[in-house]
Amino acid sequence: MAILCASTSPIFSSSSSSERTSFASLKKTIPSNQSSFLGFFPVLALSKPSGVRTATTLSLSKRNFRVCCQDLSLVPENQRWMFEESEADGPDIWNNTWYPKAKDHVNTEKPWYVVDATDKILGRLASTIAVHIRGKNLATYTPSVDMGAFVIVVNAEKVAVSGKKRTQKLYRRHSGRPGGMKVETFNQLQQRIPERIIEHAVRGMLPKGRLGRALFNHLKVYKGPDHPHDAQKPIELPIRDKRVQKQR
Amino acid sequence: MTRIKRRRRTKISLFASSFRGAHSRLTRTITQQRIRALVSAHRDRDRKKRDFRRLWITRINAVIRGMGVSYSYSRLINNLYKKQLLLNRKILAQIAISNKNCLYMISNEIIK
Repeated sequence: MAILCASTSPIFSSSSSSERTSFASLKKTIPSNQSSFLGFFPVLALSKPSGVRTATTLSLSKRNFRVCCQDLSLVPENQRWMFEESEADGPDIWNNTWYPKAKDHVNTEKPWYVVDATDKILGRLASTIAVHIRGKNLATYTPSVDMGAFVIVVNAEKVAVSGKKRTQKLYRRHSGRPGGMKVETFNQLQQRIPERIIEHAVRGMLPKGRLGRALFNHLKVYKGPDHPHDAQKPIELPIRDKRVQKQR
Repeated sequence: MTRIKRRRRTKISLFASSFRGAHSRLTRTITQQRIRALVSAHRDRDRKKRDFRRLWITRINAVIRGMGVSYSYSRLINNLYKKQLLLNRKILAQIAISNKNCLYMISNEIIK
């Protein structure tokens, strides 16, 4: 489906001022009319009597409204961008919720993020990573489809935890046989396999299931400062949590 | 007589003709699976309305949180109601996907 963000962004600043004035003037006149948002009256509203506004006519007018407004001469110049030609002839976006097609979630076109785990609080970092891997920061989020990005974590052995968790946080695993529970502290696991700490944290925050396991494979954790994914040109992961950096 | 049974069962098996394995071949299983399918359809017709509203809310939330620090879906809805803007979540979610700048403009308008 065509995403028109790029086309509207240069006109964003110029039309915003006209938007503001027209919006404020029409806000109080016809609050129940959907077309008042546009800042001017489309062809259909002029022809119908304004008193008769039942639910059915409103839905019908919304459907016809899409086709009628091919007549762009009635649209003021600075608002033409709202009626791009492709939008009027394309799929019906107002009656069908968007669902991604196969080409919307190709793995080769997903963004790659890299984050340095040095002195970052474990849980807060893992939370942001999980949000990006799952795709919950995107408008195109779909729970049944993998729309998220790839995340690389470097310097995994330097991740920080607060309080006495270094010696007191326990990592448990069970081999399946009776008496087969193995317990390790945070410190011991960090000496042995430091990547597993971040992986354990993020896996607990991803959904559990087939899709969750597939999402987990989009996380790449490395011990030192290097990673082998330079070809994917990863960018810095934007972290919005203010308390993720450990206070010294 | 067999032909009455057969007529009834072929009608039922027509419903289950696209089911997998024994669910489309064995008559007793067919009747059971048809009932389960119809029950699911009945229950999910109401669920569908809930599910889609959840999806729209999540999508709107995702885009709105990118707008600024501590701006969220809940504040957006509060502002929408205060300004008496009747856009529903379905439309807002579709706007968010097709034309993100448009949604930012709407939310900037109603913040004031």
